[in-house]
Amino acid sequence: MTILIIEDEPKTGDYLQRGLGESGFTARLARNGREGLLLAREDGVELVVLDVMLPGMDGWQVLAALRADPATAQIPVLFLTARDEVQDRVRGLELGADDYLVKPFAFVELVARIRTLLRRGPAREEEQLRIGDLEIDVLRRRVRRGAVTIVLTSQEFALLHLLARRQGQVLSRSLIASQVWDMNFDSDTNVIDVAVRRLRRKVDDPFPQKLIHTRRGMGYVCDVDDTVPPAP
Amino acid sequence: MNGSLHWLRHSLAARVTAMFMLIVALAAAGLGAYLYRELVDEIERRDDLQLLGKLRQVQIVLGRPGAAELVRNHPDFFRDTMSGQENSLVRIVAPGVAGQGETVLADINPRGERYPVPIADRASGASPARAAIADWTGSHGEPGRVVAAAARLGDATVTVIVARLYGERAAMFASYRHRIVGAAAISALAAALCAAVLLHRGLRPLRMVAAHAALVRPGTLARRLAAGDAPSELLPLVAALNAMLDRLQEGYARLSGFSADLAHEFRTPITNLLGQSQVLLAQPRNVAEYEQLLASNIEELERLARMIESMLFLARAGQEDVLPARQSLTAMDELRKVADFFEGMAEEQGVHISCTGDAVVRADPALLRRALANLVSNAVRHAAPGSTIVLDARQQAGVTELSVTNTGAPIAPEHLPHLFDRFYRADPARGNADGSTGLGLAIVSAIMTVHGGTASVAAHGDRACFTLAFP
Repeated sequence: MTILIIEDEPKTGDYLQRGLGESGFTARLARNGREGLLLAREDGVELVVLDVMLPGMDGWQVLAALRADPATAQIPVLFLTARDEVQDRVRGLELGADDYLVKPFAFVELVARIRTLLRRGPAREEEQLRIGDLEIDVLRRRVRRGAVTIVLTSQEFALLHLLARRQGQVLSRSLIASQVWDMNFDSDTNVIDVAVRRLRRKVDDPFPQKLIHTRRGMGYVCDVDDTVPPAP
Repeated sequence: MNGSLHWLRHSLAARVTAMFMLIVALAAAGLGAYLYRELVDEIERRDDLQLLGKLRQVQIVLGRPGAAELVRNHPDFFRDTMSGQENSLVRIVAPGVAGQGETVLADINPRGERYPVPIADRASGASPARAAIADWTGSHGEPGRVVAAAARLGDATVTVIVARLYGERAAMFASYRHRIVGAAAISALAAALCAAVLLHRGLRPLRMVAAHAALVRPGTLARRLAAGDAPSELLPLVAALNAMLDRLQEGYARLSGFSADLAHEFRTPITNLLGQSQVLLAQPRNVAEYEQLLASNIEELERLARMIESMLFLARAGQEDVLPARQSLTAMDELRKVADFFEGMAEEQGVHISCTGDAVVRADPALLRRALANLVSNAVRHAAPGSTIVLDARQQAGVTELSVTNTGAPIAPEHLPHLFDRFYRADPARGNADGSTGLGLAIVSAIMTVHGGTASVAAHGDRACFTLAFP
């Protein structure tokens, strides 16, 4: 899947290209708006990551041009802004952007948003999830590892369900806080770490195969093995 | 043209001067017109009486014995007797008899003026009133008056017509009018000049205030405008400006202090980032050590990012136009949510969280959760193991109070007033060790401010109670 990054800041552009490449995407980088518009018209671009503060033609103009051209009108656009003003966000969404992130943002957060945008249609809710010997019956809210039934509180179940649903994806702490507890702000406490630790005590500690892994500095991932799997 | 109009519209002095000039011009012109009218009436009345006197004189002369002969035989003598001034015209007419036209017996009219003959009272010797006098216009356009009356001449009745032209009088009136207009114009100009000078002098204190205000700089906020000899009307302005300077100075001092704190707070994580990275790069290390460093750097950077986010949040909340998206919320649900969020962490420390009370609160749910989460995280951090943190909701007198109470190390009374200040830490040694930004309670306070409510804290022994009061 090809993602076009339109970003003038050299370091940001480079790390986005590298990081998205290593996350399993084909990442192309444009250093300004005009170049970006040219690249966007090429075949195969499935998503645009657009910086708003571009020299010359700014991100809003690029966005408007993308939306005006039938060849690019359908491509999802995720814009990046350093100005966390409500009217900025509203403007971007009104111009037809699909999502936005405010700088500074966690890279895993960006990847999570990109995956959500690329997933066409609503995500199908699996009734049964299976990772290694972990089985989750979503409807009955039952969790088993092999023959052992694990009793979880509703919070723990929600956390495990989120991690398992996004198997292989690194989930940032703020994403977990927002999805499980509806807390949409970065807390300066280690609540999420504690919650994951408690979940692990029940789900991982008694078993030889560990399923919940810490990605230090990024968040948590649930998967069978602990290597970084670049699967989009 | 536009420019001058613009100036007139915006200059107080110009406007007042123009109005003053207009008023004086109107007053002078009005007074002049009134006096002129009175004078004209008086002179015209006198002239009319004189005209009637002349008529009477002719009637008397004609009534004397022998007057008929005199008129008939010595018209020249009669004319010379009767005509006084050149502009005085007299005609004596005998009525026609038996179909014959009337006969002019005498006509004193050196310039041959033609004037209308008004209808005369038939009774001989009658004295007409002023109302019987008619207007006419002389051959040179000068105004005239004419009157007629019957008179006895011998045994016959004749008509005496007396007329007069008032050219000189008209000229005098005209010159008088011109002088009135001139005087009005001059007084208006003089008034305008006086007004301009007075205004210029009167506005001098205002200019001084402006000059003082122009000198106010961020560095000179301590200076105040001097009232000096300003008139009493300007004192409220000076006082208001000085009060504004008070507020600005206070806000500015707070901001500078805040910037200093901020810079200081940024130093610690940046020192860590720099130092750790430099130490590690100084020698070849294994991959695990590099990974360790990067992860540690990310933690520091995340703290910086949180700090920036909090700062921006506070900056926005400080703007008065921020309006929270308020909804009616069941307080218990919100308390429960926040309690659930912290439940695991509290249990790890052997602390229990309980929610009590019942109330409805009108608040922005995201902001309310954030405020409560900051309070609870603070409470968990300071709660003694084995204690209970109580989240309580109650409603009284239109105010919904949500409170978070924990038991722990007592807070010294001198800290209480400052707990909601940015970067204030009751225990400076704790510093950044626990990852807190020192802005949590300041954010709580800001969230309450945008809701029009208050955040307060009370300490009773080892119990600390933070209360959010929503209107």
